[in-house]
Amino acid sequence: MKSLKLQHLFIACAVATTLASCHKDKKVVPDDKPTAERAGLYVLDQGNLGSPNSALTYYDYTSKSLTADIFQSANSKGLGNTANDLKIYGAKMYIVVDKSGTVEVVNPKTAKSIKQVLFQNADKSSREPRSIAFYKGNAYVTLYDNNVAVLDTATLTVSKYIPVGRNPEQLAVSNGKLYVVNGGGLSYPDVDKTVSIIDLTTLAVTKTLEVGVNPYAVSVDSYGDVFVHSYNLYPANPELTIIDSKTDVVKSKTDFAGGPFSINGDVAYYIASDGTVKTYDVKNLKALSSNFVTDGTTFTSAYAVVADTQTGEVFVTDAKDYKSNGLVFAFDKNGKKEYNLTTGINPGSVVFVNK
Amino acid sequence: MKKRLPVFFYKQRLPIKGCSLLLVFTQVALGSKALAQSDTTKKLNEVKVSSSAIPQIQSSAPAQSISTADFKRTASFNVADAIRNFAGVNISDYGGIGGLKTVSVRSLGADNTAVLYNGVQLNDAQNGQIDLSKFNLNNVEEIVLYNAQPTDILQTARAYASANVLAIKTIHPVLDERKPYNIIAGIKGGSFGLVNPYLQWQQRLSKYWSLVINSSVQEANGRYKYREAGDGSDTLATRKNGDVHVQQADGGLYWAKSDSDKFNLQFNFYNSKRGLPGPVVYYAAPTNQRLQNRDFFIQSGYLHKAVSGLQLLINAKYAHSYVRYLDTGVYNNSGLIDEHYRQNDFYLSGALAYNLTSDWKISYSSDADISNLQSDIYKYAFPTRTSLFNVIATDLNIGKWRLQANLLNTYIHDEVKSGPAAASRSAFTPAVIATYKPFTSQNLLLRAYYKSTFRNTTFAEQYYYAIVPRSLKPEYTDQYNVGAAYTKSLVGIFDYINISADAYYNHVKDKISYIPTRSPETPSVVNLGRVDIKGLDVIIKSGFKPFYNWKGLLSVAYTYQQALDVTNPTDLYYLEQIPYTPKHTLALNAGFTHKQFGIYYNEIFSSSRYQNSNNVPEYYLPKYSVSDASFVYSFLAGLKPVTASFEVNNLFNKNYAVISSYPMPGRSYRLTFQITI
Repeated sequence: MKSLKLQHLFIACAVATTLASCHKDKKVVPDDKPTAERAGLYVLDQGNLGSPNSALTYYDYTSKSLTADIFQSANSKGLGNTANDLKIYGAKMYIVVDKSGTVEVVNPKTAKSIKQVLFQNADKSSREPRSIAFYKGNAYVTLYDNNVAVLDTATLTVSKYIPVGRNPEQLAVSNGKLYVVNGGGLSYPDVDKTVSIIDLTTLAVTKTLEVGVNPYAVSVDSYGDVFVHSYNLYPANPELTIIDSKTDVVKSKTDFAGGPFSINGDVAYYIASDGTVKTYDVKNLKALSSNFVTDGTTFTSAYAVVADTQTGEVFVTDAKDYKSNGLVFAFDKNGKKEYNLTTGINPGSVVFVNK
Repeated sequence: MKKRLPVFFYKQRLPIKGCSLLLVFTQVALGSKALAQSDTTKKLNEVKVSSSAIPQIQSSAPAQSISTADFKRTASFNVADAIRNFAGVNISDYGGIGGLKTVSVRSLGADNTAVLYNGVQLNDAQNGQIDLSKFNLNNVEEIVLYNAQPTDILQTARAYASANVLAIKTIHPVLDERKPYNIIAGIKGGSFGLVNPYLQWQQRLSKYWSLVINSSVQEANGRYKYREAGDGSDTLATRKNGDVHVQQADGGLYWAKSDSDKFNLQFNFYNSKRGLPGPVVYYAAPTNQRLQNRDFFIQSGYLHKAVSGLQLLINAKYAHSYVRYLDTGVYNNSGLIDEHYRQNDFYLSGALAYNLTSDWKISYSSDADISNLQSDIYKYAFPTRTSLFNVIATDLNIGKWRLQANLLNTYIHDEVKSGPAAASRSAFTPAVIATYKPFTSQNLLLRAYYKSTFRNTTFAEQYYYAIVPRSLKPEYTDQYNVGAAYTKSLVGIFDYINISADAYYNHVKDKISYIPTRSPETPSVVNLGRVDIKGLDVIIKSGFKPFYNWKGLLSVAYTYQQALDVTNPTDLYYLEQIPYTPKHTLALNAGFTHKQFGIYYNEIFSSSRYQNSNNVPEYYLPKYSVSDASFVYSFLAGLKPVTASFEVNNLFNKNYAVISSYPMPGRSYRLTFQITI
């Protein structure tokens, strides 16, 4: 199983972005208050590719109870086919479902649906929403048809579509600007290698930067750096591109065997190519530990890593064989396992909900 | 004829693109390749209406058969339907007239069942599985499922090489001078917009030579309603993109001086276009995947049995298949995926048997096969595979015992144009079959067998988007079977009763498993999985005469299967039942014929299953039972025999799925008129 190296790539990003965006958008719509007490955590189970079995697993910290699919039980219907991103913003939680062409907006305390926002063509085919980020009351959703949708989080209506590069994946906000990675992976091997930078006041692309080939993830730190992870084309090595969001120039582009980042303060957690969880110092831009896990815990197919910026805990999901139930492991900040839980298939995102 | 497994493509397809882009994962659509395919139904049908009306079940390894006369009894349209009543059989049915149907026997997976067409294997080097929905029954005389292998040791070597063998035999002309020809014309039509005219021409050319030609056209829109509850709508939805357009022709030229001196030359052409309805998509329109197949093969066989006891069987075959996969709903540069595959297969087999004594026969068979595949997909390897099969076998009768044994050597060598080729490999696998008849006066047979087989990787597993070379081992299976078969002729209402029961233990190791990761650097196919299978097949069949001029037939097949994943004790599903494998399956068929009328009822019951390795409530699939009925009326129009039949599938309009997210049709109808000239 060790041989399943890079899969981690895909995953964690989502989460990283989530957290990151929280930092940056301070104000306007209130985020989780750092002092609030956690009620529990949600895990987004992507399900089997193409099959309508995406799920939302909920773990309640107080009652210690695990609900395999709380979206199903709260709404008497399934999430749909291939959910890809999950985030909480203000008093709403957003679940991005790729093949179903939906963003399910739910109450994070109950998982009850508030609205199902459709991203579909006239023939009802999905525009394939992929990832979501937030800024000043708007949600930004990447669509595989080469657009970013602007969704008003109060009215839950789409106000605009902004054309970007090919098959945009993740997106993140830094210095009032939106960084959208254009993967172009559906045309493999003729992939994309750019980041579209969108000014969030004018909602227009102001610059397109060349980054590593076939980028898939982006995260931001509190120093204004934007980290872009790229798969590259095998056998070339995966890359990490760092953009300075003050100047919007590429500071560095290096081979980097792992990603994406989940950043908490100065520490980025990521899954390395060898399937372990490593850390990276975003302040000094250098590798930290060779293995974050200190108690010998191993994973079959480490899939996503998410740091809880409030508690300092680090959550690592394990996709196992990618077609049956996975696991999520909770570690304390020293890398000692606290507990683990069973999730659904392909646990790709973890978010934390306050009481 | 038809072969090729569309499915695979699309299953595999997703992952790939994914490599870079999709975050998603998991297996797809097809689902099955994964760990275990199994599903549906099973049961028996031993029916072989031979001169004695008593079905022959006393084969040395278990064998079940169904022939022309019985297709109507089970309201069957294609080969997959016809064998769904067999014991130990799981049909993976993706629903609808164009839906993929593959057969897994005794939970070993569809890749471990060889399909023989008139004695020669249908070889799909790319996918390894044969889609049985592509075989209609118009030209089929008999289908036999052999556990282990066919009984006669004068076989191609390949016939020994699989865990199970499904043998399809087409109609051979039996004509005399008084009426040197026979023409059968018919048309089927009904639900799914089906229109299926067919024509068969049999011609006696001379004392020794004869000819048969079949052709058919099948058109269907494939649409049907199903109830969708998972998206909260609980309304009737329509299954789309399941249309099929098939043109087919096959034929044979036969020379038969006697039963021991025969030659044949056969051809088969299959051309189809069809939609590939994927898994149900909630809230959005489904996919636009299409598949086109154009398959052609020509094969020839010669059999000679000399009085000296020397027997010779020679077979040769050339097959070409073309597949085009098209998906027009893709957000890539061209807006579509359009892939083409061309496969060639050259096959030659020679078998020699010799009767050392009247009770002892030995044989040696040697086959050579060369397959290659060309495709325009990214970085394709263009593999050419040479496979050599050599087997020695013995068949000995000593008093009440019959002992058969064989040892097979398989040698496989791949060459590729780009990238590394899979390592060459050679392996010996044995089989031993023993039967014992304790009483000369009673038709009781006790039997046991052991067989070891291995399955090499398919081209898809080895090379399809293998951006990182895959180091794969073959998948090994071991089968152990003990059983008994008993036949009794009776007087009175019951004509006869047949009972057989076989208990078995199978073990699969190094299961070749598809891993739907997204990274280009991760092997997407690995050897992962061990399965322990314990099962029981029970078949009861009886003919009876309830009233004067009425004949009845009742058959019941029951299958018990415990197929546990024993891959790794740390797996969450360790010791849990593999996906899509019901513990209990029951197939029942009952029917009466009275003069020109026939009325038949078929029912298949499957206990609950899980759609995933994890046997947890989220993946639970409830039990189901599906009934079919058929009515047949035969009469003379002028002097020409005419048969009219009316078949109803899913009589009680049950809402169910064999494969999760692939809903099965509700009640459907089919009408057939056939005239023989």
